[in-house]
Amino acid sequence: MLLLLALPLALTFYLSVRSCALQMEVVTVTESSPFGTKEVVTQRAVLGPDGRALSVCRFVGLEYFRKVLGLDADVAIQAGSSAPPDAGGSPAAASPQRSTEFIGALRFTLLYTFATTPFVLLLGFALALGVNQVGQRWRPMYISASLLPFIITPVVGALAIKWLFRDNGLMPYFLSQFGISLFWMAQAWSARLLIIFYGIWHVVPFAFIVFYAGLQSVPQDSLEAARIDGANAWQRLHYVTLPHLAPLFVFVTLIHLMDAYRVFEPVVVLTQGAFTTSVQYLTYYILLQENNPYKASAAAVLTTAGIAVLLVPLLMRTWKEQRRGG
Amino acid sequence: MTPRILRRSLLATSVLLAILPGLSHARCDNLSNTKPGPINIIGNTFPALDHIAKEMESCTRGGLKVQYKLVPSPQNETETLQAFGSSGKSAFDAAVVSMETFTKLQSAGQVQSMTDLVTKYKAKYKIEDNMLVKVNGEVMAIAFMQNAQNLFYRKDLFDKHGIKVPATYADMMAAAKTLKEKEPGIEFPIAQTFAKGWDSATEFSNIFAGYGGRFFKAGSAAPDFNSEAGVKALETMKAMTAYMTPNYLASGSDDVMNQYQQGKAAMGVLWASRASRMDDPTASKIVGKMEFTAAPAVMAGGKSATHLWWDGVVMPKNLAGDRDTVFQVLMEALDEETTAKGNDLTIWVRSSYKPTRFGNGVAASAKAGAPQWPSEPYFGLAHGEIGKIIPDVMTGAMTPKVALDAAAAAYTKAAAEKGFLK
Repeated sequence: MLLLLALPLALTFYLSVRSCALQMEVVTVTESSPFGTKEVVTQRAVLGPDGRALSVCRFVGLEYFRKVLGLDADVAIQAGSSAPPDAGGSPAAASPQRSTEFIGALRFTLLYTFATTPFVLLLGFALALGVNQVGQRWRPMYISASLLPFIITPVVGALAIKWLFRDNGLMPYFLSQFGISLFWMAQAWSARLLIIFYGIWHVVPFAFIVFYAGLQSVPQDSLEAARIDGANAWQRLHYVTLPHLAPLFVFVTLIHLMDAYRVFEPVVVLTQGAFTTSVQYLTYYILLQENNPYKASAAAVLTTAGIAVLLVPLLMRTWKEQRRGG
Repeated sequence: MTPRILRRSLLATSVLLAILPGLSHARCDNLSNTKPGPINIIGNTFPALDHIAKEMESCTRGGLKVQYKLVPSPQNETETLQAFGSSGKSAFDAAVVSMETFTKLQSAGQVQSMTDLVTKYKAKYKIEDNMLVKVNGEVMAIAFMQNAQNLFYRKDLFDKHGIKVPATYADMMAAAKTLKEKEPGIEFPIAQTFAKGWDSATEFSNIFAGYGGRFFKAGSAAPDFNSEAGVKALETMKAMTAYMTPNYLASGSDDVMNQYQQGKAAMGVLWASRASRMDDPTASKIVGKMEFTAAPAVMAGGKSATHLWWDGVVMPKNLAGDRDTVFQVLMEALDEETTAKGNDLTIWVRSSYKPTRFGNGVAASAKAGAPQWPSEPYFGLAHGEIGKIIPDVMTGAMTPKVALDAAAAAYTKAAAEKGFLK
């Protein structure tokens, strides 16, 4: 079991300290297409005797980690002895911007995580209490309606939110009726707010269903006893229900922290990363744009390390509780 | 008749029309020497490709089972690269690719030559020379459609205010200024895909090429886009944002299309494959009002500032199935009948294609000297880095030169990692 869990992690780490690239050669070729024929200087892979491209792999240590974190001082990896004579303008001016890419992504990811968590807990609990009060007959309807945002595929949900808020969308139109003209994707604060709003909307149902299940297991005799002792509704909630649900709060927080840290779909769909890059999005971007699984692995390992740090306090608490319980 | 009944009867008629030819002549009726079994094909999804996918999957004779996996861009490229590049047999027997993906596959030596098959079946499937994508004389792909970003403009509004069709980006901004001042419903006259990443990098590439910029130093993969032309291209883009919705950094193709359809924007350079959607009465308020022509030049008398693209089919070198069978299935699905049935969906390469007004822009752009999308395998890396810095320039957080230098430095690293720069 442990092996099964650790193997992908170990493999990702193994990938992140290596780098493979095809052996390229500069060639001049004649290309024809529907748009005509021309001669171009390009590069292509050197093919081996079996007709397959030759690739060169090497151990690069923590080089990709340094790059993702923006800690690499020199411009290019000097694979051979000959560095490019024209590495492109003034790299000194470039480094400050590059170095903040991962940190920037991490910052927004943490903002998203910590901004959504309290709302998810509060609203989820409020919703659970509310549905618990509703008569038996209407409950199934309320429950299914509340679960809807969680059931919808994240990409579709994010698209729905985007369509509500983009130009000519319902929300800008509604706000314009009150003389408020706001372009949601135009500034950092509103773009971030929108993604956080999406996060809350999407995850509250999860918290709700967990708390609702928990509420069903609150011992009725304790509540009964409290009532006879003269406790009002607030006191019953505070002294009976909440202590009973405490482990569930920890559970929901734990799951949501892990979930929120992986925020991805709303970033892709709502802003395509403008003002809001998340660590997960960054890994994806490296994989997609640079087509470099090794560097992406380094980003993935760093992301995993980040979540570990984030979860330590909660995990320690759970650990202690388990020991006390056992 | 109420509109709903009308629509239904139209639907019924079109279904009937689609079935009727099938009764007389079925797809894949006379394939020769096929090996039965599954054939897996992967490709992007948009109307023209969905049409081809359907044609491919209708090939069910002789124990064949064709499956076209529709994967939205850009994930389809990732999957295609993985399959074609795997050390075992490819999971896909063929792929429908854009020229950008083709470039990557070709440079890695992962597509196989189809020269002999083309010779063998040229007459049978009327394979036209124009469809052949050749590298050093070997047929490596077969193109079936073309695409380009070209100018969309509201002819009704331009006529109303006596504005000439813009020949340059400066003209376009002047026209935008006039409309913004005089046309009440148009607050943001220009809409283009300035979203962070791929979209805005593509806009940059078009305008940069219009300024005569070169992405790389001659004969090498060293970057050259942090040049005077690069700075000018970014300055032009920034000047345009004054006439765009403040949400431009999140404006992808869908959003731009929506702004045109809703009559909120009056002009801009967008993909020709979106043109026919302007006349879709269920989504558009401006049916028949949008016209299409060459993408403007950036300098007076310059070349049309856009790029020409083709989409085509390729077969992997590590093909698992029978290449002759796979090739026949592909050609069946790319025959004249497919072009005729889906004539208005895109701009087909086949000579039997009857151009519609939606294709005017691509033809005009080509005539005005628009180049083909760059085919260097390292271009994608440069494009990716440029896409990251554009928002910083547009919002004024960085000057164009500093941003381009940063992108060039980041590109240099990425290109070295991939072995393009030593």
